[in-house]
Amino acid sequence: MTDQRKASDAEPTTHFGYKNVPESKKAEKVAEVFHSVAAKYDLMNDVLSGGMHRLWKRFAIELSGVRSGNRVLDIAGGTGDLTRKFSNLVGSTGEVVLADINESMLKVGRDRLLDLGVAGNVRFVQADAEKLPFPDNYFDCVTIAFGLRNVTHKEDAIASMLRVLKPGGRLLVLEFSKPTNKLMSKVYDAYSFAFMPLAGKLITNDSESYRYLAESIRMHPDQETLKAMMVQAGFDRVTYHNMTSGIVALHRGIKP
Amino acid sequence: MLYSGLIASAEHGLNRVLRLDGTALPRLARLAGKVIEVDCLMPAMKLFILPSGEGLMLASQWAAPADCVLQAPASSLVQLVVSQDKPAVLHSPQVDLSGDSGVLLELVGVLQDLELDWEYELQRWLGPVASQLISGHLRRDASWVRKGIASLNQNMAEYLAEETRTLVGKHEAEARFAELDELKVDVERLEARLERLVRSLNSSDNA
Repeated sequence: MTDQRKASDAEPTTHFGYKNVPESKKAEKVAEVFHSVAAKYDLMNDVLSGGMHRLWKRFAIELSGVRSGNRVLDIAGGTGDLTRKFSNLVGSTGEVVLADINESMLKVGRDRLLDLGVAGNVRFVQADAEKLPFPDNYFDCVTIAFGLRNVTHKEDAIASMLRVLKPGGRLLVLEFSKPTNKLMSKVYDAYSFAFMPLAGKLITNDSESYRYLAESIRMHPDQETLKAMMVQAGFDRVTYHNMTSGIVALHRGIKP
Repeated sequence: MLYSGLIASAEHGLNRVLRLDGTALPRLARLAGKVIEVDCLMPAMKLFILPSGEGLMLASQWAAPADCVLQAPASSLVQLVVSQDKPAVLHSPQVDLSGDSGVLLELVGVLQDLELDWEYELQRWLGPVASQLISGHLRRDASWVRKGIASLNQNMAEYLAEETRTLVGKHEAEARFAELDELKVDVERLEARLERLVRSLNSSDNA
């Protein structure tokens, strides 16, 4: 839907922020962004969201309904915030897989979780969300938090998530979305394009990555579009919950 | 979001307190995987409690069914927290408990048995020497305050009883209570004797 797969002689293009890049280059460029920010990812999340990202993730966990013995896949798990909670919830009889396409983020997440003593029921897998290396009908719950907008072919990723879920399993997509309030939208735009790159420059010495973050949020499908994509992929009972006036939305779908 | 924020803060504080007791987390780990739903009827509010080896996770909603559901007004919930006789509170008519009540009782037991090692926490922040000095001072001050309160009570009682004669002295009161008890027993004895006499009179009339 948002991926502009142009039918032409040249390689199809897709967006990378506001720019159009060949599809084969997007993953590489996204990887560069995350290699650059991995070391201070958690700090930047706290600074840029004022700590709100923790509440958004809590809400995702509450709606996951994960129980003891469940298998959970945390795609684009990054520094492992969700994996840590899921590891507690599934217990020793369950399993959590933290998957991330980016080696640097996966390494930061793995080190952080091991330092916190989270081990035994957690596996770390470097994987592309579009081609998940897991059997069909394997997981009880799949989550992707702030990762879907960086995926080149979102439809393929959603289809792949549907494939690995067991029937009755839940997909939770936590992602930036479109503010529902016009005034909030204007404030948010000013914040995103003025403050975020500046904070990136001051803290990570990398304003471009945070300019990309702001642009990629604008290019991501809005609430209804993403819901339609999930329905089209085959998910049942798809609902979404807006948080902080729609700045972030949590989509939930059940595999029939 | 505001309620979630409050719950998150409460969870953070509660887990810090739980970590001060060396036995609480291993006991909570035995309850891992269980979900307790606390449904406050007045004011209407729901809270889900998920114990684990890392402490307690609190949630405003939970998508899976709970193992134990406790429905009660806020007053009964407060009573449940502070009361020593928890089964009595759980069996009161205002409280409705369904599911596995053992999970709830175990959780309440863990919270009630907390013995917090404040000195250890102080030591983590200030080091062993400073924490020893501060805790020594605090212990001495606490002991002085306890003794001071006991002494004040005693002096006040003596002043009111012996000097102003506003109140009766302890020994005098005990003597009066003993006399009253004796009088009560005498009256009961007399009552029994009269009853016996009435019964014997009735039986001789019938004969």
